[in-house]
Parts: sequence; structure tokens; C-alpha cells
Amino acid sequence: MDEAANAGISEPLDLVKLALGERVFVKLRGDRTLTGVLHAYDAHMNLVVSQVEESIHSVDVTDDGQPLPPRVDRRNVDMLFVRGDGVILISPAQQ
Amino acid sequence: MSGFFGFDSNVDETFNLAGAGEEEDLAVYTWGEGMGGSLMEGGDDLNDETFGDLGDVGNDFQFSAQPAPAAPPKSKIASTASRYKPKAVADPFAFSEDDFYSSRRAPAKPAPKPATKPKAPVAAPKPAAQAPSGPVESLWAKPEAPRPMWGAAPSSTVKPEPSSRGPPLPGQIKSLEEIEAEMSRMAIPAQEPQKPQVVSLEEIERQMMAAAEPAPAPAAAPAPPPTQQPRREPTPTQLPSLPGSGYASQQALLDSMFPELGAAPSGQPTGAFPPGPPGQPSGPPQHSPEEIARMQALHDRISAKIESMSKHNHLMGNSDKDFITRIQLSQLATADPYTSDFYAQVFSALQRRQAAAAAGQNEDGPTVVQVAPGFAFGVSGPAGNRFGKMGSTTMQKLSSQVKKLVESRAAHQKTTMGTAALQGALGRVTKGSVAAPRPVLAVPTSRPELRPVNALNQQTGITRQALTRKQVMVALEELYDAVLELEQLRREMPPPVAIEESEGWNAQCAGKVEVIWRRLMVMEPLDVSNPHPFISLINPTKGQRLFPRLLRHLPPQQALTLLTLLIATYPQLDVVARPPPPPVADSSLLTKADRADRARREAETDCFLHMVIPGVDMLIGRCNLGLVAGLLGICAQRMDVARVAATRPGVALFTALLSRAQSIIRAPPPDPLNPQHVQAPDPAEVDQWNKTYAYFLSVLLPRLADLFPMSAAQKAAFGPSAYLAAGDAEREGYEMERQEAEVWGLAAALAVNAPEEEQTNLVAALRDKILHTVQAARNPATMPQRAEAKLRNVNMFLNGLGLDASMIDS
Repeated sequence: MDEAANAGISEPLDLVKLALGERVFVKLRGDRTLTGVLHAYDAHMNLVVSQVEESIHSVDVTDDGQPLPPRVDRRNVDMLFVRGDGVILISPAQQ
Repeated sequence: MSGFFGFDSNVDETFNLAGAGEEEDLAVYTWGEGMGGSLMEGGDDLNDETFGDLGDVGNDFQFSAQPAPAAPPKSKIASTASRYKPKAVADPFAFSEDDFYSSRRAPAKPAPKPATKPKAPVAAPKPAAQAPSGPVESLWAKPEAPRPMWGAAPSSTVKPEPSSRGPPLPGQIKSLEEIEAEMSRMAIPAQEPQKPQVVSLEEIERQMMAAAEPAPAPAAAPAPPPTQQPRREPTPTQLPSLPGSGYASQQALLDSMFPELGAAPSGQPTGAFPPGPPGQPSGPPQHSPEEIARMQALHDRISAKIESMSKHNHLMGNSDKDFITRIQLSQLATADPYTSDFYAQVFSALQRRQAAAAAGQNEDGPTVVQVAPGFAFGVSGPAGNRFGKMGSTTMQKLSSQVKKLVESRAAHQKTTMGTAALQGALGRVTKGSVAAPRPVLAVPTSRPELRPVNALNQQTGITRQALTRKQVMVALEELYDAVLELEQLRREMPPPVAIEESEGWNAQCAGKVEVIWRRLMVMEPLDVSNPHPFISLINPTKGQRLFPRLLRHLPPQQALTLLTLLIATYPQLDVVARPPPPPVADSSLLTKADRADRARREAETDCFLHMVIPGVDMLIGRCNLGLVAGLLGICAQRMDVARVAATRPGVALFTALLSRAQSIIRAPPPDPLNPQHVQAPDPAEVDQWNKTYAYFLSVLLPRLADLFPMSAAQKAAFGPSAYLAAGDAEREGYEMERQEAEVWGLAAALAVNAPEEEQTNLVAALRDKILHTVQAARNPATMPQRAEAKLRNVNMFLNGLGLDASMIDS
């Protein structure tokens, strides 16, 4: 059954193609993640995403070197172009 | 440069030819000015090595006392000048691009020269060695023969040698024996007496720079020795006759014997035999005063020419600009102009439509500019005005040249794209390039149909598992591809006059529609899986967006089948099976995941209502009464009507069915334009409809009051929120009224279809709701806008019964 579905897939980006128009989760360099609706991508993994929620994960350190609990900053963007060199992974957003 | 444009390196050579040549032989053709600096390089250091022992070479040509002074340069200049003779001589840059093209077809002329040059020391002795045995012609026939002579000129710096023309040579008229004897002597580097006029390369360069840098005056190039002059003289037509023909060699001999005669008409083709009588004695080649004067005049003319052209140095002419344009355009050409430039296509289509509307003319003409069978530009402007000011002929020329560029580029690519570069690459490496980037959104169109689509789920048996999400997505992508192809095909409709083409085109379209139809999996058995494969396809928003585009292409019968299947499996739809839960009074009670889930479901429902329902409405609008009755019967029998009706898509479906039936029954006045509307509904159909309707209503009536979202909200609420539910924030409240209106619409559709006694039942069922709503509308605490909406909603229903909200006393 799965082989049948795999027949049309010959390269990794063919799988990304399946996520076109769907909400995806993207992990980026610099401790960022985002979810949004994937509109377009290319071979460099440049992405165009809409209705984006971007999360920036950061850990603050006190003056004496003690890490504070991880902090997440979020922001929402209507439409976003993501440059491909920052993309670590793309996955369908878990529903 | 080659890296930037992606072209072969012979571009460089042609550019050198025009301007900044660094190889000496080519640089001579640049007419000086621009290259003063570049000629200062130390390339001369290797002259010894490069040109080696040139005694041989010198002797090689000296057997002819005056070795046809113009001959060596002829071979070079003629290659361009003869081909482009029509071009004005004053346009030195004209060579550049044209050479660029010509060098692809006939790269033998300028390109290989630099490459073979270093071999000169090896090659030079060879003719010398062969010379004694070989006939004279063999030397002249060799295409290489001119080159050593050419090489001899710069070498004069190293080993002062009789230049091609200057020094008088001992024997002026030589018999063949003499020549042969001389050739046999060639191994001995006989130093010939030389004239002081022999000019070294440095001197030439100095003169050129002198002409270039200071305020250019013709006098700045002080009478270069006549020896150099003929060499620059393009005598185009001589070359073709020169190599290999006995006549040519004889003529060269004659030329050498009678230098004055041979060189006299230097500017004009000297293909003709020298006019002088062969036996005329010629004195030693002392330049007669008039000849010197002539040379001087010639030189003046040439330097004046150089001068007049020098003001265009470093400027781009029109041809240069065209050249750049061509290169740039060639990079825009793609194998799949429609998909790879999809947005440009859409944009230009819109633009052309606008322009055509503004100009009030017909808009047609190609949307792509074909440059080759496989290549085209995906852009085009308004017809006739494409590519700005360039006319159509220019465009054609441009296209053909770009085609050449693209083709050569493709050929080049084929050779360079070896497999070695791909080692270690992951997945399939796509061989895109600047000229033909791989269209990202387009799947290779030649991909064969890998399997019957309905084998997507290969389980056999009456029931199967539902499609997995991945399978759905794959199937949807294939559907999108098929729809895009079909849409493209429709855009390429042949003109109606071309009957054969039209037939072929129709067949093609039908084939594509058939493919789409199979991929939609509508014909799968109804209960094959839950959800049905087709419903699986239409569940994601992606599939919903495809729906209206599909409907445009399906023939009516298939569309009707689709509608029937959709209605029969309506409860399996995500938006029906898992509708957004009724709103709660206090959203702070919800978890974040809950809220996200609600938002997602709301969004899906909205999408469904926007994308699918209009299509369903349209399809229902085509049905006759019998069909509508049948569809409503399917609804009543196959689904939990109340549950489906509690969702917005359900409400929309039932409303559409009921209103369609009513509009058929209340036969509109005969419309001559729409003949199918004229016929009155068949009494049997009406009867069937009434029965179905009665059944449908009997199922729905007990739950009718619960369908209203506000009632559902109140019912779902508990505790304190039960009191808060009615008191939403005004914004939400208005949204709520809008959703209530949909249900009121359904109620009104029920009302207009209902016979008298059923109308009473309807009002009875909704009595509380009506009173509630009217009272709320009259409550001064209610915002006027919302009150108005409430009254409008109630009146929608009451008017269907011939009543009005104002008749209700509070």
C-alpha cells in the first residue's frame, strides 16, 4: 500500500511537495522554529510560508553563570520568506 | 567572463578580437587605442621560446622574394571581414558578437590560433625540413604556411630579420630552380641584409600608444614603416583562393616577384592577376618616392580611420547592447514556460486583458515567445508591443539568436555534466542550469502513469481501510498536476477553423478529463471505505480548493455523479463529522490546544463553505425536480439528518436542495432564452418530491430548534456560563447572528416547501425560538445592529409563511 504511494516519489523534495498548502513545522538554525502554511519551496529549501507563528527559544544566563529556565518568544507573521540556508527540517505540523 | 555568462571560452577570444586582446596576434586587430595598457605586459619575454629558431621560418617564405605582403594578415582579417563585409569598416565592434556566433559554426578561423601558437617552434622547422623534397605548392598549400610568416614579424625584435616586405632581397626574379635552391639552403640560417626600416613590436606598440594617449593626432603615429602597413590592410577576398590551389600559389609567386604590382591596390580585392606584364623587369625594391608617398598616404588614411573610430572606444553600440540582451534573454528561456513562469503568465494575461479592454481590441496572440521547439520565454507583453520598442522583426532575429545560444548551451551542458560531479549527491540530482532551471512546481511531464489510481489502495475486498494522509496528499498532487495540464491545454485551444486540430485538441482534453476522473476515485463503491476515497481527497483544504477548478472541466454527467457521491457520503466529511464545537461563553476556560483545534475546525468549515458549497449549489441548480427529490431522499435515508443539519455545511446543503425544488415547482414565467426552464415540472416528480419532503421534514422537525447555534451553545453550556452564553461580546454576537441566519434560511426553505398543515407544525416547533429572538431584538439592551439582524433573521422565516415579526406582540 505504501509502495503505491511511494511510486510517485523519487527525491526528498517530492515529500515536501506533499505539504504544499498545508501547515508545516519548520525548524531553523538559531534556535528558532515556526509553523505556517507552506506556499512554495525550492531546491535550496527557500520557503514561502503564511500565517506563521515563529518561536525563538533562548536561555538566559544570570551574571554568575546560572542558566535561567528556557524562554520562548513568539511572534506572528502573515507571510514570510524563509531563506533556505537556515532550514534544518520541515515536517507536517502535527494536527 | 565565461563563468558569468556560462559560455564557452571562445567568447573571450572574440572579445579580444574586438578590444583588449592579450595575445599578440589578435591584438593587432584592435586598431590600437584601447589596448595600450594591456600590451605592456611581459608577454614578449617568451617570444624566444615561442617563436624559437626563426631563421628557418624566415627563409621559408623568403624563397619568394616578396612574400605577398598582405597574405599573412589576410588569413586572419579575411575570416571576419569577408564574412561581414557588408558591415561598415568604421564599426570595429561589429566583429565581436557576430564572431561570437560565427565561431560556433566555424571556430577554425580565429579561435584555434592562440592554441596552436606555442607549437610554432616545433612546427616551423618542419616545413623547412620537408621543403627540399616537396614541391613549392606543398608549402603554400599548407594552411599553416602563413602562420610562421606571421610569427616572424614580432620575432624581428629578437633576431632582426627581413620583414615581410621591407628589405630588398638579392634575387628579384627567381626561377623555380633558384627557389628550390634557396629552400635547400634553408637549414642554414642565412641572415639576410636588413633594412633599418624593420620595426620591432615594441616600436609598433609605442606608436599605437602614442596614437592613443596624447591628444590624438594623425601625426602622432609617425610614419610607421611601410612594412607594417599592408599587414593591417584587409584584403578579404584573397584568402579563399589562397590555400591549396595551384593558382593561388602561382599568384603568390607572382606577387612576390612584382611587389609593386601586387601590393598596389592594397585596399581593394587583389584576387585578380596583377595587371603588369609578367616579363616586366622590376628593379630592386627600392621604394620609389611615389611609392613612399603612397604608403604615407595610406598610413595617414589608416591612422585617420583609427582616430575617427577611437572616440567610440569603451562605448557600447547598439549591436553590443543587443548582444547583452540576447545573453540575458537566453537565460530566461525555459523548457516549460507555462509552469516555470506561472505567475508571470497569469500577470501578463491579466495585463493583456486589461490593455485589450482599454484599447477595445481583441486580445490574442501567443503568451509565450518560442525560441526553439523546447524553449520559450514565459513572458510576453501586449501583442505587437512585446519587448518594449523592439519591432517584431527584431524580435524574430533576437529569438533565432537566442535559440542558437540556448542550443549551444544545452550541447555544452551535455558534455560537461558528467557523472563524476554527482558522486555523493543525495537523491535524484536535477540537471537544471541557468538557461533551463528545473521548474520547481512542475513535475516532469513525461512521468508515465505508474499505476491505476484506484490501486492506490491495493487491498481487495468489499471494504478497505481509508487512505492514509500521505496517500491522500500524493493523490492530490497528482490531481493538481493533471488539472494544471488540462487548464494549460484549454488555453491552447486551436482556432475554430482548424478542424483537424480542434478534433485532436478535443480528444486530448477528453483524455485528460478521463485521467482526472479516474484519479478522483468517484467510481469506487460507495461503502468501500470510511471515509470514501473521494471524501478523503476533499477533506484537506487543498482538496477543497481544487473542487471548483475540477467542476469546470467535468462533463455534466460526471459532475452529477460526483454530486450524488458527495451527498451520499456527506456525513463522512471532516467538516460534518467533526464540526467546530458550539461556542463557549468564556474562552478562557479552554486550553490552548482546544483553542487551536477550534480555530482549525472553524477555518476548515469556512474553507469548505467558500470552496465546495458554491460548486454544489451550481450543480444542484442544474438538477430537475426528480433528481432533487432523489438527492433529498438519499439525505433522509443515509444520514442522521439532524446531526448533519447541525453543521453549517449541512445547513447549506439542505437549503440549496429545498430552494432548488421550490424554484422548480413555482415554475417561473416562461423564459424564451432558457427553454429547459419552460417545461412545467412533471406531476409525478412533484408527487415524489412532496413525499420525500414530508419524510425529510418528519425526521428533521423534532430537532429543528436545536439547529440554531445559539441554542446549541446554551444547551452545551452549564453552570454560570449558561447565563453568560446569550451575552457574548457584541463582535462575537454579530458573527453568531450571521450563523443563525443560515439556519433561519433553512427554516424558511422548509417553510416555503411545506404544505399548510406542515407550516403550522413548523411554527409550533420554532415558536419558542421565534419569541425569544423577537424579544431579544426588542430588548433595549441589545445593540441596534444586532437587534436588526435578529429581526431580519426571524422575518426571513416568517415571511415565507406570509407573516412578519411585527405581528408578534410582546
